[in-house]
Amino acid sequence: MLSNDFTFSKRLLGVLLLLVGVIGFIGIFAVDVIDVGREGGIGPAQRIALGVCAALALLGLTLIPLGKAKA
Amino acid sequence: MTFRVLNRLITGAAMVLLTAHLLVYVAYAINLMQFPFDYDQGEGFELVDTIMFSQGQFPYRNTDEYPFYSSNYPPLFHVIAAPFVWIFGNAYWYGRLLGFLGTLVTATAIGLAVYREGKRRDIAILAGLAFLASNTVYHIGPLFRQHMTMVLFETLAVVILAQVNEIEDTRRRRRTLAIGLGMIIAAGYTKQLAIMTAVGVFAFLFIRQPRRAVIWGGIFAFVGGAIFLWMNWATDGEWWRQAIRANVGSINFDQTMGLFRLWFGLHGFLIVPAALLVIYELYFARLSIYALWFLASLLQGALSGTWGGGDSYWATSIAALCILSGIFAARTVNRAWTFPDNYLSRFFVFPLRRIAPVLGTAGLIAIPLLYVGYARAALKMPTEGAVFTTIADVFDIQPNALNGFYDSAGRIAGGYADIGHFTSQADIDAGWRIVEMVRANERPTLSEEAAFNLLAGRDVITNPTQLLNLSLNGVYNSTELVRMIDAQEFGLVILRAQFYPIDVLQAIQRNYIQTETIAMNGFDYLILSPRGG
Repeated sequence: MLSNDFTFSKRLLGVLLLLVGVIGFIGIFAVDVIDVGREGGIGPAQRIALGVCAALALLGLTLIPLGKAKA
Repeated sequence: MTFRVLNRLITGAAMVLLTAHLLVYVAYAINLMQFPFDYDQGEGFELVDTIMFSQGQFPYRNTDEYPFYSSNYPPLFHVIAAPFVWIFGNAYWYGRLLGFLGTLVTATAIGLAVYREGKRRDIAILAGLAFLASNTVYHIGPLFRQHMTMVLFETLAVVILAQVNEIEDTRRRRRTLAIGLGMIIAAGYTKQLAIMTAVGVFAFLFIRQPRRAVIWGGIFAFVGGAIFLWMNWATDGEWWRQAIRANVGSINFDQTMGLFRLWFGLHGFLIVPAALLVIYELYFARLSIYALWFLASLLQGALSGTWGGGDSYWATSIAALCILSGIFAARTVNRAWTFPDNYLSRFFVFPLRRIAPVLGTAGLIAIPLLYVGYARAALKMPTEGAVFTTIADVFDIQPNALNGFYDSAGRIAGGYADIGHFTSQADIDAGWRIVEMVRANERPTLSEEAAFNLLAGRDVITNPTQLLNLSLNGVYNSTELVRMIDAQEFGLVILRAQFYPIDVLQAIQRNYIQTETIAMNGFDYLILSPRGG
């Protein structure tokens, strides 16, 4: 990745976005699981963040089939 | 009549409408430069910052002690304006002139970026004019505020770096990178929000060539961090407290959503083509710096719901969307779209090939119509005054804002700056009346705006919004200021928006009584005197 010729492909960008989306989604839910004493459930900021993570994951999935095309 | 001729006619109409927007903007800027007081609350404190820099002092001070003043903004805009203090003394016009000229340079850079990509002079001009026609750019451009200078540096950085990866000559590429990234550091030291542009730019560099992004990211962090540490050392840690800790705040989602809807309502005609170009680059071409900058700038807009935030937080995205929509427009008119063979083009694009000529012709008409629609959506103008009264009468434009002003943005979203109207001689007379009151009083004046004290030759005491910022973050000790108010050491108190921390307002309420209200610039200035004479 740190060579002079390396550049991101659509597939790699897709995988990266998918990972960020999935990990972010789980992480946001984990906030409630870990911080069990907190009241109010999933707040508006969390809902927006969950939506963004889901969108990123979906975006990543649609990029993966584009293969080696340069991102 | 051929479609080419129709295209030219509608393009001409769009050019006329956007030029009319520009003329209103120029008239507004000239009007504000002649107004010697705060027009937008906070301008006076930016002037105080500039004066302090002109004297070789930092404005990041201990707000717990007299005169309880500090700034929460980075220094660059005020440093740039400081030489004007040496020559012209304390005045607002040069800061407003700098802000205004900065927006003209930004518009030119947007036009150049669009021309470089599409080689269409007409669309490049429309893209630049579209930026200046934005309601947000209009009302904050000619203010003594640093925000639009940040947008200027951001735009220059992005335009400079857009084709940096294609430069084969190593020395020239490095020089371009150094200048472009230097512009981002300049933007960041003009206003902290530029960090989002840094995110977009480094995402672009990383996707194109990770190695280069890592190396230059390290240099960027070292230079930016060194300046930061030096300033913190030079101000005994007040830079950290006043410019960083004080600016941490929670987000009001209703305000963010309101401003988002407003942003879309006003700029939708250009947002849609800009978004389509981002999608095109994502699936059918390479992601450009403009696309990643636009996406990052939306995060900046998301912060518009913070206390002190407002529609100006969308200004960077407006610059980005003007470039993207301009490139989209030029490519459509030039019929220069190409689609590689992939699963999306096979499904969505190739079936449309048979009607490509029809779509191309439709594009010739639709593109200039987008700019005509945008010009209508962004309409704002005074409804009073020699020329404006006639225009308002002919088109039946009724004022819907302060001081006889129509603004298509309405005044529906919290955080939308309630400005844009022209000032009058009556406003100037009212301001001088307040100055005379300050001069006539032997004791110091606690004023919510700096202009009255500055023009009366008195100490500027407090920066109320900054005290509130600090108070909300639990890093302000109001003991000494409240003691002075309780002892009635101030001969006058002048309030407008009452942005002081609660305990300071309570102390004022206990010890001062309103004796007069002076209307200026559409706002009521409350003049308070000590209770019991």
